[in-house]
Amino acid sequence: MGPLFKQQPKVTAPLRSVQRLSTKKKQDYFWAYLFIFPTLLGTVLFNLGPVLYTVYLSFTEWGAFGNSTWGGLVNYKKILNDPVFVSSLKNTLIFTVLSVPLSIALSTVVAQLLNQQIRGVSVYRTLFFLPVVTMPAAIGIVWRWLYNADFGIINYLLNLFHIKPVGWLIDGNIALYSIIVVAIWGAIGYNMVIILAGLQNISPQFYEAASIDGAGMFTKFFQITVPLLTPTLFFVTIISMINALQTFELIFMMIGPDSLVIRDTQTLVFMFYKEAFINNDKGYGSAISLVLFLMILILTIIQFKWQKKWVHYS
Amino acid sequence: MTAKSGKKSPAHYKTVIHLLLIIGSLFMVGPFIWMVLTAFKSLGESTQMPPVIFPARLRWENFTNLFDSLPFLTFYWNTFFMATGRTLGALVFCSMAAYAFARIEFPGKNVLFLLILSVLMIPSQSYVIPQYLIMVEFGWTNSLKALIIPALTSAFGTFLLRQFFLSMPRELDEAATIDGCNHLQIFVRILLPLAKPGLIALAIFQLLWSWNDLLWPLIVNNSPSKMPLAVGLASLQGQYGTNYPLLMAGSLLATLPMLILFIFLQRYFVQGIALSGTKG
Amino acid sequence: MKKLALFLMIFALVFVTACSSGGGTESGSNSGGGQESGANAGGTNTGGTDNSNEAKGAGNQPYPVTDKEVTLSYQFWDVNQQPAMQKIVDEFNKIYPNIKIQLEVIPWDQYWVNLEAAATGGTLPDIFWINATNFRLYALNNQLLPLKERIEKENYSTANFPEPLLDLYTIDGEQYGFPKDVDTIGLWYNKELFDQAGLEYPNENWTWDDLIENAKALTNPEKKVWGFAAHISQQTNWYNTVYQAGGYVLNEDRTKAGHADPKSIEGLKLFTDMIHVHKASPTIGQMTDTEPRVMFESGNVAMIFDGSWNQIRFRDNEYTADRVDVTYLPQGPAGRATIVHGLANVIAKNTKHPNEAWAFLKFLGSERAAEIQGETGTVLPSYDSAMELWVKSNPKFNLQIFVDSLEWGVGYPTTVQGRKAQQIETDIFTKAWAGEISIEEAAQQVAEGVQAILDEDNAKYK
Repeated sequence: MGPLFKQQPKVTAPLRSVQRLSTKKKQDYFWAYLFIFPTLLGTVLFNLGPVLYTVYLSFTEWGAFGNSTWGGLVNYKKILNDPVFVSSLKNTLIFTVLSVPLSIALSTVVAQLLNQQIRGVSVYRTLFFLPVVTMPAAIGIVWRWLYNADFGIINYLLNLFHIKPVGWLIDGNIALYSIIVVAIWGAIGYNMVIILAGLQNISPQFYEAASIDGAGMFTKFFQITVPLLTPTLFFVTIISMINALQTFELIFMMIGPDSLVIRDTQTLVFMFYKEAFINNDKGYGSAISLVLFLMILILTIIQFKWQKKWVHYS
Repeated sequence: MTAKSGKKSPAHYKTVIHLLLIIGSLFMVGPFIWMVLTAFKSLGESTQMPPVIFPARLRWENFTNLFDSLPFLTFYWNTFFMATGRTLGALVFCSMAAYAFARIEFPGKNVLFLLILSVLMIPSQSYVIPQYLIMVEFGWTNSLKALIIPALTSAFGTFLLRQFFLSMPRELDEAATIDGCNHLQIFVRILLPLAKPGLIALAIFQLLWSWNDLLWPLIVNNSPSKMPLAVGLASLQGQYGTNYPLLMAGSLLATLPMLILFIFLQRYFVQGIALSGTKG
Repeated sequence: MKKLALFLMIFALVFVTACSSGGGTESGSNSGGGQESGANAGGTNTGGTDNSNEAKGAGNQPYPVTDKEVTLSYQFWDVNQQPAMQKIVDEFNKIYPNIKIQLEVIPWDQYWVNLEAAATGGTLPDIFWINATNFRLYALNNQLLPLKERIEKENYSTANFPEPLLDLYTIDGEQYGFPKDVDTIGLWYNKELFDQAGLEYPNENWTWDDLIENAKALTNPEKKVWGFAAHISQQTNWYNTVYQAGGYVLNEDRTKAGHADPKSIEGLKLFTDMIHVHKASPTIGQMTDTEPRVMFESGNVAMIFDGSWNQIRFRDNEYTADRVDVTYLPQGPAGRATIVHGLANVIAKNTKHPNEAWAFLKFLGSERAAEIQGETGTVLPSYDSAMELWVKSNPKFNLQIFVDSLEWGVGYPTTVQGRKAQQIETDIFTKAWAGEISIEEAAQQVAEGVQAILDEDNAKYK
């Protein structure tokens, strides 16, 4: 080491600053790993372990109660040839593409309205929050009644205008869209809470400055609110997308495995449920959830790369 | 100048907002109102099609019957414990991790974040049985530990708070560093207080999910003394049909605390405007 | 990076642990596993029909019960039956005060996932309920304690259990559980609608033709009233008519699917014709929108085939309490048939206290336990002498028909992958019910699908 050092005397000054950086970096790393340690440990222990087991299962032909035999790619080959997989995938994508943007847009408008200094705003907020605390069974019953072809309110109203009754939940062409409406309806309460929280972070000074410049309501919304809200909106977008691609409860509640339109509304997770718990083929079910996982992962990564284009962080 | 900039004067503008909100609220409250009304109906009234909207009389006995058939107080207590434990844990651990991901550069950061996030991308039912096996392995079945500890680490919470931290101005961090603060101090004294709205939002959701968590408690616990509210309600849904009045009554009782909490937490959403904002 | 490696090592460890514990069906937690067959097999208790008064601690019992305090877990899904179960436990404790029974109610929707997780982890409850659709899966995978030897050694009489039900829980001569209750199917009808149409109520002489004629006469589309709900569910609907027509769903030894048999198709046709030909039933779409039973409770449907278990619901519903009654299912071309089903109480194979669990199981299967169940009217007990109590519990309904129907009862036809087979039936027959394909075509497809499952099951479980 000696001769090398002597040959490059100019290295001494930068070397000292590298050392200083290194201490700070060491500190950084220490705090960073310490802070993420509990979450990481929990994730690895309670989530990743089981998930890896699921990966393993996807390569097996499942027997009962944990007995499985290695099957290689048999489940994945089955997926490629399964028309139900294709239709489930299609339904899932339609559902996501329609429900996510619409629900985010609506929720943002609603959150903005609920962020105004008007009388009774906390009453309104509570009312909009009610769907979030309403029991899913109750939500299912009410919506199913609304949509009921013979006795439902919607068709009753249509009848007043001499429009023929529509089979909202029993017509294969319409059922999926009927459900999307319910999904959007239900998402508003959730998203509103998050977006409201995000709105609090926007300093009123920005609005004041804009008002002085003569900006109107819409200008303020699109030039100030939305850009500063983008970190929150990014979160809502990702989470909504991840949830939408995994829709199951809604389908189960509003349609159910025995309905005649299940083939038109079945989502990928529903298909997983059917294979894993009704057909008791956990191997195949695991393969399906893994394919879905990869899809979601790729879409999420794409979204993360894209965020540079539209998300403004401080 | 400001009065002329918009076509509507402030009074009209507020009226429009009220109108929109009223119409919107009506859409939102339907199922909840139905839930309340049905809680007072008789069995017959609740199953009619087309539905009977108003009960002939208010059957308060639905509520008392509920306490007779199920140990509701035990359920409340268990749920309270479980929800509080999970929420506190989530608030602490998620905010810590979120801070690290938002404010510190370290090797493997993006990969680890994606790793944590990826848990959200797999339907939980697909690995619930292996999770149970781990509980068996640890000997945690039929315990409060099993209800709380696995849920302490929320990818949702970590992601949410990360976004909040990312939107805070770096000047705050830099000022504090110059003053000689380390990460812990920056985190606890400066950024965390500013993240109150986000923390509250997270608390609301975490409480909600713990409150409604059904499948996990039923897989990991068998003894009635450990069951939470959601299980109690689920037992009212029978194999061949459900006693809807009882179920809705129970659901109301279960929901009330959450609702009260939400109303109470409202103020922090308004106060947030005063708390946040750069100082100087 | 080192930290990352550490984490990877941790989760690899977890992964390996999870795999190894998930592998076995019987993880080693049985300290008291296996039967402690006593030295003297000769000593038996009462050889009569009533088994509930075994003398405790009689030293010459082949399966002696301990004197120490033990706690057993008893798991089931119906919270409405909890009071009755508690009463049974209390009476059991009069004989065996040291055996504590903890009642665990797991809601129906989660019951089977919970049970599966428990079986996979080796933590099944000591005694629990099981039904026909899931029974074979557990029995053939060695999750249940076989009972034949115990029955024989103690000369326990099973004469009071309905024969088709006992057979349902027997595999190759090995008994795995005792029936707890029994259900059969009847024809529920709305008296008011019959009165309004000036028609006589259904009676035991009805044939399919009577059903069709009356259903047509009762149908009034403007008022949204239909005569009969030709629903697609198996146990309560077309399984029954398939056998009434002389067909079959599964043959005796479960090696052949009978849906495509011409006689079976006749049984299926009763339903599809009711919808498409006689127009006396709501469509499958309408029945998807609104459950047939709800239609019945609302007066929109005059007749449905449904189970004995509904009596308690119709009794408590003030709309139906006085308006409806029940009678025998109509006779088909080959005579009478009704699907018989019932739950069984079973013991987990790896229970730590097999003798104590066996003592409780016997009590559960005793006359006294059956009486307790029958009194409340919640379920029809599967014990001859106790059935009368159930019938008497509600004189407004002609409940006797359910007991009589046992005479021509057909055991619920199912196989190991029962749910899967039924889903195939539902998925394909829905198309026929909806008029998209003919019933003959559908039956052919279903038979093929179910046959494949039967073959799979028979190959796997010799």
